[in-house]
Amino acid sequence: MKGSLLALVIGAAAIAVLGTSYALSQFAFVATWAIAGLGLSLILGQAGQISLGHGAFLGIGAYVEGALAVAGWPAWASFPLAVLVAAAAGWVAALPGRRLGGMAFAMSTLAIALLVEEALVRWEGLTRGAAGLAIPPLQLFGQTVSGPLGQFVVSALLLLVAYGCCRRWVGSRLGRAWRAVRDDEVAAAAVGIDCGALRSLAFVLGAGMAGLAGALYAHWLAYLSPEQFGLQLSFELLMLVFIGGVGRLSGAIWGAAVFVALPQLIALATDLLPARWAAASGTETMAFGVLIVLIILLRPGGIAGGRRQGRREAG
Amino acid sequence: MKRLVSLLGACLALFAGSAAAATPGVTADQIRVATIQDLSGPIAILGAPIRDGMVMRFDEENERGGVHGRKLRIAVEDSGYDPKKAVLATRKLLQRDGVFAFLGDLGTPVVMATMPIIVGAGRPHLFPFSPHEATYQPLDPLKFQLFAPYQDYMSAAVQEMVRNNGYKRVGLLYQDDDYGLEVMKGVEAGLARLGQTLVEKTGYKRGATDFASQIARLRAAGCDFVVLATVVRETVGAVSEARKLGWNVDMLVTASGYSAQTHELGGKAMEGLYGVSVMPHPYPAGANERLGEWIERYRTRYDAEPNVWSVMGYNVADVFIRGLRGAGRDLTVASFVHAMENLSTTRDFFGGPAYHFSAQDHLGNRHGRLARIEGGKWVLISDYLK
Repeated sequence: MKGSLLALVIGAAAIAVLGTSYALSQFAFVATWAIAGLGLSLILGQAGQISLGHGAFLGIGAYVEGALAVAGWPAWASFPLAVLVAAAAGWVAALPGRRLGGMAFAMSTLAIALLVEEALVRWEGLTRGAAGLAIPPLQLFGQTVSGPLGQFVVSALLLLVAYGCCRRWVGSRLGRAWRAVRDDEVAAAAVGIDCGALRSLAFVLGAGMAGLAGALYAHWLAYLSPEQFGLQLSFELLMLVFIGGVGRLSGAIWGAAVFVALPQLIALATDLLPARWAAASGTETMAFGVLIVLIILLRPGGIAGGRRQGRREAG
Repeated sequence: MKRLVSLLGACLALFAGSAAAATPGVTADQIRVATIQDLSGPIAILGAPIRDGMVMRFDEENERGGVHGRKLRIAVEDSGYDPKKAVLATRKLLQRDGVFAFLGDLGTPVVMATMPIIVGAGRPHLFPFSPHEATYQPLDPLKFQLFAPYQDYMSAAVQEMVRNNGYKRVGLLYQDDDYGLEVMKGVEAGLARLGQTLVEKTGYKRGATDFASQIARLRAAGCDFVVLATVVRETVGAVSEARKLGWNVDMLVTASGYSAQTHELGGKAMEGLYGVSVMPHPYPAGANERLGEWIERYRTRYDAEPNVWSVMGYNVADVFIRGLRGAGRDLTVASFVHAMENLSTTRDFFGGPAYHFSAQDHLGNRHGRLARIEGGKWVLISDYLK
């Protein structure tokens, strides 16, 4: 409750200070990134799997939606398909998890990220390869969603739906089983939990959410190129979840806010510096790094996780 | 409640009225423009000198009193080569800074993601550093491009090299992205005009450092001429690898490898490498008087040596200023576009090309010229190839 109020205050202040369209544009990207973060939160925070290739699922969702939108498919058909294809890719990515564990499995997800990026370059018929793919604006109920307000409303609504689903899953028997597998796999198996199937399910759901975020991203950016979905994106998403708070779903939203909005706030603050300092290359990157380190030092459990390394829990 | 609604209405009406009345970014005494550069990402090595060149040209104009009495202000945003950040920066520049135009934005993903927003907001999108033809085609009143597309000038350069040196087996090493593909199209088109095809083409991923397999493949194909669609570090890597194996094949690199860093990093192994230059590197030795003065001013100001990217940044700002001058004191987007469509420049003291724009053609220059590394520096060996 306190967190929601704080978020509301921050949101209102952002609109007042930044101006409506700039602030709403930021919120749209925060909500989109939060959806992807929620997916990774299920995989990492609940099922205890490290995924180093989450950006690849986002890329798959983006390209499926992009290609279908270019082909003239309506959003009500293309969005679910983008989610389904990304989820299917998640299932494939989870297959090595039946035999591999820990870092060995994490490495296999890294391979998936590399494979997907390469496939996006090579599959020119669909992706236009390295030349990139221009995406038309989102059409919803006969309306074109191209302005920041529309983008924000659509992203926020889908984030609400995604958050609601995740809350339901982690609060249910499924969530308890995931946490049992995460905390002690042997004990979980001893009480009859199918650990492999549960981990796969976390991957399928998490990848599906990344696919949904990717589908939104494709329209908000209007141009896709394979390099946008490289390893850097996967690591960015991983950091987003850790910074936000790995064990809490709300951490994904906080993490997204930090990753999307903080660099913008730093850019605004840099404008106030003397020209010589502001012009120095890397000032903003350095400030971002320092702030991230401070967040980690002050809140090791993530922004939503409290001052001390908190218990990993749902909610 | 009613009072609140009417107050809100009044504010909105005021805002709408003021927005409609004036040209965004233009006041009685200043013109605000924006540029989105990579100052912290993978091509920050280009972004910083481009920005410095632009700022230097603007300051020079301001010291002379500005354009028609208006001082030029430039808002610089760092995208870090991330299109998501660039989109947000664009919204900021449009809404908070209210800029008149966007100038020399850097990087294809950044340009392609932000250009529709900028043009959609009715602001000119000028001279981006991107080889994508969408930056000037299809014709749009608000899009202007200064830099020759890779396809056109590489086609001309390859034809010139093959004609002069009688090569029979041409190979290509290309970066596996939009840049590499654009070059490949140009090279293939040039060869097709001479009745030849590429005998071998081999790619590498951006960031690669080892070119042993690619060079071995090109050598095995018996290439007598290799075109490099590489950037600086990869150019050095590929040429060094070939020379290490004792393979002294002639090689031609695009304008992306035409940089002083190529011979500085690569040393002696780079001797004899051909390159295509769209804008000459500003060497102090042998510089004409004006160029010499310019180099000195740049050094004093930034405590650094200027490079070809600084010149390009300066050039972008210069052509923009010429457009503003042509638009007159009554500056609007329409008057600026009209002035740009009638703009023709002559060769400048850098030795760069002349630019010509018209209502039917918003690409200022399509040509490059050949250069060769001789005695540790690039020496221009041809004029602009038409």
